[in-house]
Amino acid sequence: MATPNITMDPITRIEGQLAVQAVAENGVITDAWAVSKLFRGIEVVLKGRAPEDAFYVTQRMCGVCPTSHGHASSMATEAVDPSFELPNGARIVRNILEGAEWLHSHIFHFYALAALDYVNPAKALQANIADTYALAMEQGIGTADFGAVQARLAKLVEGGDLSIFTNGWWGIDPVANPEEADELYNPDIPAELHLIGVSQYLQGLEMQAVAAQIISIIGGKFPMPMTSVAGGTAWMPRADKLDDCLFRLKEVTAFVDNHMIPFTLAIAPYYLNELTYGQGVKNFLSWGAFDRSTRRIEDRYLPGGFIKAADGLTNVNRPMVEHVTEDVSRSWYDQESGQRFTESETTIVTGSDFSQDLDGQYSWGKAPRYQRDPMEAGPLARVIVAYMDQASASNATVREAVDGALAVLGLDDPTILVSTLGRVAARNIETAVAAKWAAEWVDELVVELRTGRAEFWAPYNSSNGEGTGTWEAPRGGLAHHIKTSNGRITDYQLVTPSTWILSPRSDDGVRGPLEEALVGTPIRDIEKPIEAARVVRSFDP
Amino acid sequence: MGSEMTFYENLSQRGVSRRDFLKFCGSTAAVLGLSSTFVPTLASKIAGAAESGLTPAIWLSGGKCTGCLESTLQATYPNVADIVLDLLTLKYSAASMATGKYALDAKKKVYQGNKPFIMIYEGAIMEGENGSGYTMINADGTNSLDDLEAAASSDQCAAIIAMGQCAVDGGWVRAFPNPSGATGMSEYLSRRGIDVPVVNLAGCPASPEELTAVVVQALLLGSDGTLESGIAAVAADLDRLGRPKYLYNATIHDSCPRRGHFENGEFVYRYGSEEEAKNFCVYPMGCKGPQTYRRCPMIRWNDSQSWCVESGGVCIGCATWNWVDNNAPFAGRHRRVGAASSGPLAGWPLHGGGLHPIGTGAALTGVVAAALVAHGLGMKAAKRIGKNATLKTEEMKEYDAKRLKKQGGAN
Amino acid sequence: MPGKMVKESTHPLFVFTHWTNALAMLFLTISGLYIAFPIVGGLMGIARGTHFFWMFVLLINIIIRIIGMFTIKTCCEQGTREKDWDYKNWLPQKTNRHQMWPMVKYYLFFKKDYPITAKYAGLQKLAYWLSIVLTFAVAYTGFAIWGPTQDWWIFRIGNEIVGSLFGFGGGDGLMPMRLIHHWIMWFILIFTCIHGYLSLIYGTKACKMIFLYKED
Repeated sequence: MATPNITMDPITRIEGQLAVQAVAENGVITDAWAVSKLFRGIEVVLKGRAPEDAFYVTQRMCGVCPTSHGHASSMATEAVDPSFELPNGARIVRNILEGAEWLHSHIFHFYALAALDYVNPAKALQANIADTYALAMEQGIGTADFGAVQARLAKLVEGGDLSIFTNGWWGIDPVANPEEADELYNPDIPAELHLIGVSQYLQGLEMQAVAAQIISIIGGKFPMPMTSVAGGTAWMPRADKLDDCLFRLKEVTAFVDNHMIPFTLAIAPYYLNELTYGQGVKNFLSWGAFDRSTRRIEDRYLPGGFIKAADGLTNVNRPMVEHVTEDVSRSWYDQESGQRFTESETTIVTGSDFSQDLDGQYSWGKAPRYQRDPMEAGPLARVIVAYMDQASASNATVREAVDGALAVLGLDDPTILVSTLGRVAARNIETAVAAKWAAEWVDELVVELRTGRAEFWAPYNSSNGEGTGTWEAPRGGLAHHIKTSNGRITDYQLVTPSTWILSPRSDDGVRGPLEEALVGTPIRDIEKPIEAARVVRSFDP
Repeated sequence: MGSEMTFYENLSQRGVSRRDFLKFCGSTAAVLGLSSTFVPTLASKIAGAAESGLTPAIWLSGGKCTGCLESTLQATYPNVADIVLDLLTLKYSAASMATGKYALDAKKKVYQGNKPFIMIYEGAIMEGENGSGYTMINADGTNSLDDLEAAASSDQCAAIIAMGQCAVDGGWVRAFPNPSGATGMSEYLSRRGIDVPVVNLAGCPASPEELTAVVVQALLLGSDGTLESGIAAVAADLDRLGRPKYLYNATIHDSCPRRGHFENGEFVYRYGSEEEAKNFCVYPMGCKGPQTYRRCPMIRWNDSQSWCVESGGVCIGCATWNWVDNNAPFAGRHRRVGAASSGPLAGWPLHGGGLHPIGTGAALTGVVAAALVAHGLGMKAAKRIGKNATLKTEEMKEYDAKRLKKQGGAN
Repeated sequence: MPGKMVKESTHPLFVFTHWTNALAMLFLTISGLYIAFPIVGGLMGIARGTHFFWMFVLLINIIIRIIGMFTIKTCCEQGTREKDWDYKNWLPQKTNRHQMWPMVKYYLFFKKDYPITAKYAGLQKLAYWLSIVLTFAVAYTGFAIWGPTQDWWIFRIGNEIVGSLFGFGGGDGLMPMRLIHHWIMWFILIFTCIHGYLSLIYGTKACKMIFLYKED
C-alpha cells in the first residue's frame, strides 16, 4: 500500500465527522480511504426502550435530516403490526413534511456546504454591478441586491476578518494573491457570476430557513419535528396552517426555479471536466420516497429500485432489505462480518487503539453491501432509478427535468450524470421536482380534507415482532429495522445514507462508493486538493 | 451617532429595516427578561458594538448530529440575528470554508491569539473506553478530547457556551448504557481541572433565540461593557444546572397555550382525534411539559412558526438532564423509577423495567391487604378473635418477667 | 380490646380531626389519582380544585391536632379515668415501655398472650408518628410540584436534592418528586389498611370510641 499523501481531516461543510486519506500519483488519486470518525451507539441506546420512543431518538442521528429518520423509524414500528394501514391523510401530511425537509436539505447543502467549492467570494469583489445584472438577465437568473452583497463582502475583506471564510483558499491569501486563489476555481468564470453565486449563497441561507418553517408548522420545530409518530401524524391540518405551508412552498419553489436551477446551469459549463471523474461504483440503490396511496415502493413518487453497473445502467430491479449485509472487518466493530443487516448487532471492538489503520480497521462506518456490492445512495441514485424505471408514474416528470437540464448544457446522455458534477446537478434537479410535487400534495390534502372523512392516525400493535422501514433521506436511502418483544425493543438497526456512501472497504477489499469515486480524480496540487473535496461534497456525505 | 448611521446603513444593505431591527431587539430583550424600556438601550449597544471590533468565536463539536448548528441557522429575523452573531466572528465551525489542516490552522490561530474568544461547543464529549476518547481520532493520532482541551485551556478562552443538551450533559448519547462514554461540558472540565465559565443551553436542539440572548448578554450587558464583565453577568445569572435563569425558570406547562384545556379537563386521548383537532391538552399522551423547564411556548421555533405541543405532538422534555433516560417512555405520563445512568441511584433498580408508582404501589397495597386478610384468618384460627376467642392479656410484661428472673437468679 | 376494658374517652376535637383527616385523605387520593391519570376528560378542574382544597384542610387539620396534643388532656392509662396531656400518649409510657417487641411477636404469632399496653400500644405509637411524618412529607412533595410554590427556595432545595439523587443532574427534580409524592400516597393507603384492620379486628368497641369519643 502506498502511503497516503493527501489527508483531509477534518472535512468541514458536511454533516458529521469525516476524514479522507488518499494517495495521489502523477496528479491523479490512485487510492482513497473514507474514515467515519463518529460513534455514538444509537442502536445500543434504543435497546430495552418502548418501540414508539424510537421515532424521537432516531431523529437525533442527523440534525439535517431528522424528519426522514423519524419517518423511517415510524414506518418500521408500524410494520411490526401486519394489519396496520397508514391513514391516507397521514400519508399526505408525511409527504409534505418530507418534501419540505428535502427542499431544506438540498438548498442547505448546495449553498451552505457545496457552493463555496465552486464560487470564489474573493473574486466576486471585482465584479461590475451593472454587468452582474446583465449577466443574470442573460442567463435567466433571478436578481438580488448585488451591490449590497458586494459591499458586505468588501467590508469583511477591509476589516481583515474573513469570519467563516478564513483560510478558505487552502493557505492562499485571496487578497494578496487573487490570481493564485482563483486558480482553485476555473479562472474563466467571470467575477460577475461569482458575485451572483455569493448573493445566492446568502439567499440560500434564508431559503433553507423558509423551507424549515414548513416543517415547523407541521412538526412543531426544525430540527427534530415531533408529529410523524408511529401510527400516522399528530398534526391536524387546518386551512390557515395549510395556507402558511403553501405560501412558503411557493416562495421556495420560486427560488429554486428562478435562482438555483439557472445558476447551476450557468456555472456548470465551467466545470464540465468534472463530468469525467468521480463516477464511483456505478451501482445505485434507492428505497424510494414519497408514498402514493398504494404505499408500495415501486409506486413511490421517487420509486424504489436498484441498478448495477454490471447489469447495465438501464436495468432497474426492486430492492429488498434481505439482500443488505454489513461487513465490519475494516470497522471498529467486533461482530460477525457479512451478517444481514436485519440480523446484525452492534458490538465495539475492545483493546484497539482506534487509530486510523488504513491496512486494518479505520472507520466507525460499517460496510453495507447489496448482494455483496457497494451501492451509491442519494439524489443521483434516485434520479437515475426514476429516469430508467419506465414503469414508474414519475418517469416522465423526471425524464423531462433531466433531459431539459442536459439540453441546456448541450448534452444528451443521461448517464453523464454519473460523475462529480452530475451528482450535484442531479440533486438540484431533484429539488425542483420535489418542490413541484410538494405543492401538489398540499392540494391533494385539501381534497382529502374536503371528503370530511380524512383520518390522520390509526392504532397499531408493535409489542411483538419485527418490522422494517425503508425510506429516503435527502442524502440517500435509509432503512430502519426494529425487533420487539413484550413491548420493548430487543434490537434496532439502521443503515443510513452515510454508511452506504462512506462505507469502508468490504471484507474482500472492495472500496466503498466515496473511496471509489475519489480514485481517478485529478489533483493539481496535493497540498490543495480542492478537486477531491468537491468529489466528497458532491455526495452530501 | 455617526457610527449608528453607518450601522443602519449597513442594515439596510442587508435588507433589514430599522423597524425589523428594533423588533428583534424587543424579542431579545423579552427573552432576556428585560423590560421593554430597555429596548432602545439594547439597540444602541448592538449598533455600537457592531462598529467596534468583533469577538472571535470558534464552534467545536463532539458527538453531535449538527442539529444545533442547523437550529442556529433557523434564527428568527435571520438577517438581524446574523448581525448579532456577526458580533462574534466565527473563525472555525462545521460550516467554515477551510478544510483539513487549513481549518485546524484557522482554529489554532484563535486560541493562540491575543484576543479573548468564546467557544461554542456542540455535541457530547465522548470519552470512550476508560476515558480514552476513542471516537473521533484524527489522522495525526490526536482526538476530539485533545482538541477540546487545547481550546478550553487556552488563556484566551473567555467562556464556553455548551450548545444543546449533548454538550450540557451528554444528551441522548449518554443514555443508558452510554456506549460511547458521553458526558457534558461542565462535568468534563471540572474533572480535568479546567476552570472556564460554562453556560449551558439545554434542549435538543438548543434554539437560536437562546444563543442570541446569551451572546447579547455576554458581549453587551456587562457592568462596564467589557467581555469579561459581560461573562461575569452571564455567570451570575445561572441556575444550578448552569443554565441562564431567564431561559429555564418556568415549565412548559406554566405558559402552554393548551393550559386552559388542561384545567378544563379537555384532553387528547388519541392522535388524529377530534380532540386533537380542537387543540386539547396532550397531557394523557405523555406530555412532559409539567416537569420541563424551558420557554418554548413563548419563544417558539423557526421564526415563531410553531412549537412541539402547538403542532399536536407532546413535549418530550428534551431540556431535562439526561432526558432520554429520565423521560422515556415518551408516551407514558410517568417515568419509571430507575434507569438513571448517573447519580447515586444509577441503574437502580432496573434499566427499562423499573418501578411504576401506580402499578407497583397498587400491587404493594394489594399484597398488604391480602396479608391482613390472611393475618385475620390466622388470628381467628389462633382463637384470639371471634366468638370463641380465648385471648388473655399477659400477667406481666415480658421485660419485667425477665428482670425478675434475673434478679431471682442473682439472689 | 381484650382483657380488662376501661372506660376510655377521646376528646371530641380529636374525633373531629380524625374524621376530617380520613375524609381529606379520601378526597386527596381520588382526586390525585385522577390528576395523574385522567382516564376520562372533563373533571380536571374539579379534581385539581378538590385536591388543593383538601390539601389545605389536611394541613390545617394536622396542625390543629398537633396543637391539641399539648393543650388537651385525655386518658392515658388503662384502668383509670385520670387524664393527662395528650402528647404523653405519643411517647413511651410506664405501662407499655419495653412492650414494642412483645407486640411484634404477638402479631407474628410468636407470643400467645396479648401484651400489656397503655391506651396506645408501642407499635401503634410508632405508626401514628409515622402517619404525621407521612402527611408532612406528602404535603412537602405536593408543594414542591405545585406551580405556585415550586420555586420557593424551600421546595426548590428539595427538588434539587431529589434531582441529584435520581440522575437529574441536581436540578429539575419535578418528576422524581412527583413519583415520591405518589409513593407516599401509597404508604398512607397501606397505613390506613392496617389501621382499619387493627381497629376492627377485636370488635367494634375500639372503633366506637373514635365515633362517640367516649365509651358507653
